[in-house]
Amino acid sequence: MEAIWDGLVEAFRLIGTGDGELFSIAGRSLLVSGSATALAMLVGVPLGYLLGRARFPARTLILAAVGTGMGMPPVVAGLVIWLLLVRSGPFGGFELIYTKQAMIIAQFLIATPLVIAFTAASIQALPARLPDLLAVLGAGKLRTLWLLAREARLGLLAAVMAGFGAVVSEVGASMAVGGNLVGDTRVLTTAIVTETSRADTERAIAYGLVLLAMAFAIVAVLTVVQQRSPR
Amino acid sequence: MPLARPLLALALAGALLLAAACGDSDDDPGTIILATTTSTHDSGLLEELVPRFEERTGITVKVIAVGTGAALRMAGEGNADAVLVHAPEAEAPYVASGDLVSGRLVMTNDFVIVGPPDDPAAAAAAPDLPAALAAIASGGRFVSRGDDSGTHKKELALWVAAGLDPARLTREETGQGMGATLTIASERGAYTLTDRATYLALRDVLDLAVLVEGDATLLNAYRIHVVNPDKHEGVAGEQAEAFAAFLLEPETQALIGRFRAEEFGRSLFTPAVQIPVGGG
Amino acid sequence: MEARFDRVQFAYGDQPVVDVPELRFAAGRVTALLGPNGSGKSTLLRLLAGLERPRAGRVLLGEEPATAARASVAYAFQEAVFLSGTLRANLDLALRLRGLPPPERRARLAEAATACGVAHLLDRPANRLSGGEAQRANLARTLSLRAPLTLLDEPLAGFDERGRAQMLEELPALLRRFAGTTVLVTHDRDEALRLAEDLVLLREGRVRAAGPRREVFGSPPDPETAAFLGYTLIPTDAGLAGVAPGGLRPGPGEFMLTLHVEEIVDLVTSVEVVGRAHGERIAVAFPPDFPLPAPREQVTVSAPTEMVVSFTEPAPKRLTAPPARP
Repeated sequence: MEAIWDGLVEAFRLIGTGDGELFSIAGRSLLVSGSATALAMLVGVPLGYLLGRARFPARTLILAAVGTGMGMPPVVAGLVIWLLLVRSGPFGGFELIYTKQAMIIAQFLIATPLVIAFTAASIQALPARLPDLLAVLGAGKLRTLWLLAREARLGLLAAVMAGFGAVVSEVGASMAVGGNLVGDTRVLTTAIVTETSRADTERAIAYGLVLLAMAFAIVAVLTVVQQRSPR
Repeated sequence: MPLARPLLALALAGALLLAAACGDSDDDPGTIILATTTSTHDSGLLEELVPRFEERTGITVKVIAVGTGAALRMAGEGNADAVLVHAPEAEAPYVASGDLVSGRLVMTNDFVIVGPPDDPAAAAAAPDLPAALAAIASGGRFVSRGDDSGTHKKELALWVAAGLDPARLTREETGQGMGATLTIASERGAYTLTDRATYLALRDVLDLAVLVEGDATLLNAYRIHVVNPDKHEGVAGEQAEAFAAFLLEPETQALIGRFRAEEFGRSLFTPAVQIPVGGG
Repeated sequence: MEARFDRVQFAYGDQPVVDVPELRFAAGRVTALLGPNGSGKSTLLRLLAGLERPRAGRVLLGEEPATAARASVAYAFQEAVFLSGTLRANLDLALRLRGLPPPERRARLAEAATACGVAHLLDRPANRLSGGEAQRANLARTLSLRAPLTLLDEPLAGFDERGRAQMLEELPALLRRFAGTTVLVTHDRDEALRLAEDLVLLREGRVRAAGPRREVFGSPPDPETAAFLGYTLIPTDAGLAGVAPGGLRPGPGEFMLTLHVEEIVDLVTSVEVVGRAHGERIAVAFPPDFPLPAPREQVTVSAPTEMVVSFTEPAPKRLTAPPARP
């Protein structure tokens, strides 16, 4: 109990005094996971839109694959990317292993199925005649996509939250492909692992608190937007 | 409308970031991947040494902390440039095959057997190491790393040397690093084999005491090997060689000897090169 | 604006849905597409709206293919679909997508909303309107466009009975005021007759009859169409005959039948005598003052010849003489 209390006190002291290492690690988490989520949106939203809208033979199979991807442990994604990017792997020549880019790629792989699934679900929940309505009202292709995205915005928000939440809190993939390098690829989760194995509980707790606060802040902002938007 | 725009912006920013980030890192002095054991990493030693080397040479060292087995395998596949490991028997085949070259001793410390301070198996009272192991085997619980690390390999070798078959002992394997394994042993009132450095670093939060130490077979030798650049494409042999040389410089060696010595009242690692009196 | 089908064929997958060699919707007139479920009415409407591309042939609005003339069309789906936001925002979006400037949008929006009786709902979320409100709003959105071609799919679906009766009364005036050429889809004969000047009868994707409603109603091309229009089909010695709805009356006349009474159905405002003639079960409305027969009695009923058609081969034609004696 005392260890927890001391940990919390020290954690708040680190946060309060603006501990440089803490904030640079937190910033790195935000950068890596934010980029991965953004890329996942870029790829996942159009794919999710297609899966939610179009009807084609392989659709069910793809949806099942996406569902499986959602359940894939991050460490498996990490292993796959590690095997691809490591020097002896097929993409070793790009020298991406143990870099932030490698982490972004792995987290992208984790977040994308989530984004696809959430987007597909939100597009499917729209009235079936909506695209027809927009077409007869005279909306062009881009305009139609835009208006549909606006209608599905709550689902797209859920997609961002799910994607970001998953990658900012995962540790296995970041550890495997990032290497947990000090000042380079060490993010909040891998830092927690390190500090825990070094028995620096205070720092581990501080990182954990920052991670929670970050997740909370982002989810809170998105939830407020979600609640405010008229139905 | 108020929402999709920032989403789009975020997506674009991410794409640009990735593109930009992929473009850097040319004409720099180079990068090496150092695969090493969790014990050197968890003690914090490399975080003290590496920045000095990087500052001096401009070479970036990526320290990847894995078990000795995994580190050696990375080296064997050319996925690392240098390894800092402590399992001579496991290192030998890689040296023999020519994957690892110019191996040299960097430092030593020793393994110790730690266990509950009240020592229920009376391991501390045993006349020698095999007897102590036999006592633990019959009267205590033992927690093993089980992760193919140098410490794990050492532990298995010790059981065999004591005439015991590890497969038939009731040991629990954690599959985790030294720090986690020590914590588990402490919580379960069990014995375990640890390098002294990690134990000392975590001593305060553990309910474990050093019960068996000093046997000649408990010596823990850390060696640096460079991955053979002639055998593996893409290996930064020159830079790796520079790092190996750096570790053996008198100044670095002195630093190793002093590392956290004040904090624990004794050295965590003994440098391999004899430091002249007053050096450092 | 005139709309026409020129050798149009359309199919969903391998399933042929529509086959219309020729069909014209005259400019400025209200046409009802009438037919049972699955007869292809809505598909014709979608072709007119340019939402579907014909597999063969052309659908022309004026001189342009329908797929390129969406700006000339206003289309109200059977189910009212709205985007999130207020009804005002929804109506405004429709006008904005037509590229109208704000002052005109405001004026048109207010006018259509008032005319359709939804002005008081403008600031409500469109997706929370009740069934009847939503249908009126749907109509307001469509009519506000004042499109050269207005398409209405089952405009009276979604109303309760009172609302439907009211709308049935209001709609002709609304169409005169806001719509040019109008094509509406309905499966209800009375609706079609009340709302439309021209009728197009559809069955299984083919046009069975088309033209001014009196003409089409007066001479159904085949027994199935006649039955759909409410004709009573009676197999007589001279062949199959159809009597227009309301044509049969008690008492002797030009086209006479002997009815073997089975049942008297009292509908309070009128009485129906149900029985069999030539083996066919027939219902005849009796005026209130007429003496009612009892079950198992026989009564003579008749219809004037202008309300009787014969479907004797080769071609259906109007009967000129009573085909049967009493």
